[in-house]
Amino acid sequence: MAFNAVKEKYRSKVGEVVLGATKEQGGTRAYTITVGGEAALPFLHFEGDIPNRPVVALEIWDVEPTDWNDCFKPFYADVWNDPAAWAKKCVEEFGADLIVLRFKGADPDIKDASPEDCAKVVKDVLAAVGCPLVVIGCGKPEKDNLVLPLVAETAAGENLLLGVAEQDNYKSLTAACMVHKHNIIAQSPIDINICKQLNILITDMNLPANRIVIDPTIAALGYGVEYGYSIMERARNGALQGDNMLGMPMIGNVGFEVWRTKEANASAADFPAWGEQETRGILWEATTAMALLQAGIDVVVMRHPKAATLIKQNIEELMVKTSFDE
Amino acid sequence: MEKVSVLFFPDNLIAHVEPGTSLLRAATLAGVELKSNCGGDGTCGRCLVKVKDGRVNVKSTGSISQRAKQAGLVLACQSTVNDNVVIDIPKDSRLDEHQVLLEEKDILMERDEDLAAGYDFKPLCRKVKLTLSEPSLTENVSDLNRLQAALRNEMECGDIHIGLHTLRGLADTLRTGDWRVTVTVTQLNGCADIVHLEPGHAEKPSYGLAIDIGTTTVVVYLLDLESGMTLGKKGTYNKQARYGDDVITRMIHASDDSGLNDLHLAVVNTINQLIDELLSQSHVSEDDVHIAVVAGNTTMTHLFLGLTPKYIRLEPYIPLASVTPPVKAEELGLKINPSAYVACFPSVASYVGGDIVSGTLITNMAKAEEIVLFIDIGTNGEMVLGNQDWLVSVSCSAGPAFEGGGITFGMRAMKGAIEYVRIDSETFEVEVSTIGKSRAMGICGSGLIDCLAKFRDVGIIDRAGKLQTDINTPRMREGDDGWEFVLVWGDVTECGKDIIITENDIKNLLRAKGAVYAGIRSMLKAVQLEEEMIDKVLIAGGFGNYINIRDAITIGLFPDLPPEKYVFIGNSSVKGARLALLSQDAYREAQELGKKMTYLELSVGNDFMDEFVSALFLPHTDMSLFPSVVANNDQKGE
Repeated sequence: MAFNAVKEKYRSKVGEVVLGATKEQGGTRAYTITVGGEAALPFLHFEGDIPNRPVVALEIWDVEPTDWNDCFKPFYADVWNDPAAWAKKCVEEFGADLIVLRFKGADPDIKDASPEDCAKVVKDVLAAVGCPLVVIGCGKPEKDNLVLPLVAETAAGENLLLGVAEQDNYKSLTAACMVHKHNIIAQSPIDINICKQLNILITDMNLPANRIVIDPTIAALGYGVEYGYSIMERARNGALQGDNMLGMPMIGNVGFEVWRTKEANASAADFPAWGEQETRGILWEATTAMALLQAGIDVVVMRHPKAATLIKQNIEELMVKTSFDE
Repeated sequence: MEKVSVLFFPDNLIAHVEPGTSLLRAATLAGVELKSNCGGDGTCGRCLVKVKDGRVNVKSTGSISQRAKQAGLVLACQSTVNDNVVIDIPKDSRLDEHQVLLEEKDILMERDEDLAAGYDFKPLCRKVKLTLSEPSLTENVSDLNRLQAALRNEMECGDIHIGLHTLRGLADTLRTGDWRVTVTVTQLNGCADIVHLEPGHAEKPSYGLAIDIGTTTVVVYLLDLESGMTLGKKGTYNKQARYGDDVITRMIHASDDSGLNDLHLAVVNTINQLIDELLSQSHVSEDDVHIAVVAGNTTMTHLFLGLTPKYIRLEPYIPLASVTPPVKAEELGLKINPSAYVACFPSVASYVGGDIVSGTLITNMAKAEEIVLFIDIGTNGEMVLGNQDWLVSVSCSAGPAFEGGGITFGMRAMKGAIEYVRIDSETFEVEVSTIGKSRAMGICGSGLIDCLAKFRDVGIIDRAGKLQTDINTPRMREGDDGWEFVLVWGDVTECGKDIIITENDIKNLLRAKGAVYAGIRSMLKAVQLEEEMIDKVLIAGGFGNYINIRDAITIGLFPDLPPEKYVFIGNSSVKGARLALLSQDAYREAQELGKKMTYLELSVGNDFMDEFVSALFLPHTDMSLFPSVVANNDQKGE
């Protein structure tokens, strides 16, 4: 007797978000990236169309990341004084699909870079690479509300992904994305309801749902990755069941979270049983990302080039179409 | 130890108390009612008083503001006396006369429904005039047999009981009246009980009381049981309020015998005070009141009867009794005829009480073909859904926000409470209207609902209830507890302070409305019905009467159904009690209802919690549940 795969029927699918804009579209990107669009749970190709593969971004800062582990030096030390060169290296040497530019230097406690400085960095990075760009603020709302609108204005037409909007601070960024036609990262603190509420609040301001990428907040392996997993899973299930206000692609700052953990950073001298530090850190980052891929993440933001390579490989394997309809 | 005196101004009332007594307790003893939402825990900050003369020991200043401290105000519950003191009570610390729901047509949007439809007029208690045959040597059965036989001729009844006290007077009464006698008979569940005898044929009818004991308010109706007429209605706040605003605080207070007695006496005194007023107003003597029917939530019924509610509070939430036997008035200390029966409505579960059974009775939903949703919002939100074939009930802890609890300027619906607001969408100028058209003192439930709806409407808050601090008006400002919006400036308020709504107040309101709506959703889910399938929504409760339906839907408190499906029925609890008083069939039906209703415990499973968090938004995170609100917004957007 022939084998019949039991297939789940989904009522809806995840919306697609286009990042970047080519010359014809009013920007200067060499290509655009479309994320989302899944019509089934992650990689269940036989149940529904997965039109876009998850993409891998590498994270760069506008200032030298002095607190990063030494293992990053061989890769980035020559470029991390120059965000444009850093971005270029990430794309050309390490194969990043896109770049996440984090304005750590805008933090008043770090370098207090002015909005104008930040806007200039964005310009430089855009000139250096052809990939779509994600720009994230320093995390202090008062400062970000000055920096991000200017970035949005400077890069008008480039269709950036700007973040982050939070429940308590979404208005100025949403307005900036509306006026200058960018996409927005809606970040919620591991809470499916706030996630949804924020999406409603943003769409209420008339920014279309297909310009929102959800950051439901994730954690590293061993630090609560399962919570991030569970929220992503719930959001995705909601999306597939027809909840439009959860039907957006998702982004997660994997590298940022993983490289804060003791397990990624502690030296082998301190913990001989844990094995060599860099390999351990890379695997820690890759494992965290792999788990989230299974939950439905669309934009994986990595930090270590080797971890990024592993994940790209993993994604390729997962994107091989499975079918039972022989 | 020698007692000290505490003199309260402006009332000029004095209490003599043991040293170490709190000012709150002293005030109670002196007969001054202070606000005390937290029941004397020092957390609500409502019982502020000023020490005019003498010294008090202040245990804690709780969360009272710097300004209040500087003004010399202390928390009455946290201050004890050691010496003679003189205390001044500010107006807004005082528990004022309460606007209790009394079915006044002009203030209620209540529709005139024939709520007693379908029941014959057969009061639980009535006077029967009998003329007995005189005994003789040959016709020599006992006086009692003679009476019983005559009574059986007059009315349908099974067993006839008579109390010893009444029996002792029988022989003389019959002979004094020359074998003409008036018998007061109570019929509960079929059997007849002779509760009173009068010689001759009495002119005066028998009277009865319908009593609603709410956590916040108590309402008593006086009825002429001969004609069925309601002679008077009185309501006041429940004196138990001084032991805490909500049932939980009171249950905690009642966990020992003296606390239980405090609460029992408090509610009996409240009722007695109302009875006093009613009787003197209608010129009825207390001896002529022969029956009382009481509806209250499970905890109130327990406290009224002096039964411990201790285990209702603790998992698995077991009441001492859900069906209680009728008792005699003298056992409770109720100031009516001592041998009068007092019957309480049965409860369904720990948090669905006799008041809901009573409401269900009056709504006639147990006889309806259509599906009816009955919502009673008091300190708790209780709901019943169903029709003639099935009934389910739930209770959700909405909390006291709609009654003013946990809201900075929240107050019960009394004089000076803001009921409606109008806000200009350009200038954010506010116009308010208050109960009694007097100077504003605070905001009551309907005012709060109205505020929430209007705030959202003009963009003072976003859908998550967050104040929009970027709007251009001096009314939006940063206060002691974060951002706040000034509804009324201090120069025109009764208390002289600006009446504000804080972000925290809004959060509390969101939680309250979220709980009610989540309760409705959970119940619908349990019986697998959609909102549209509800044919009629009946809204009862002390605050339910003043709500604007449109507002309530806009904020997501009630389901998005056409307004014509909503009917306000006022205080359904006391009306149900009145119906039972006037109809033995209705009384029996109420007993049945108590058994018939299925109770859904919302604390079991995750459904309620999921529904609750989804409802903490204006109106809801699932906008498809509120199509008319969406349509309205779209219209405005265009």
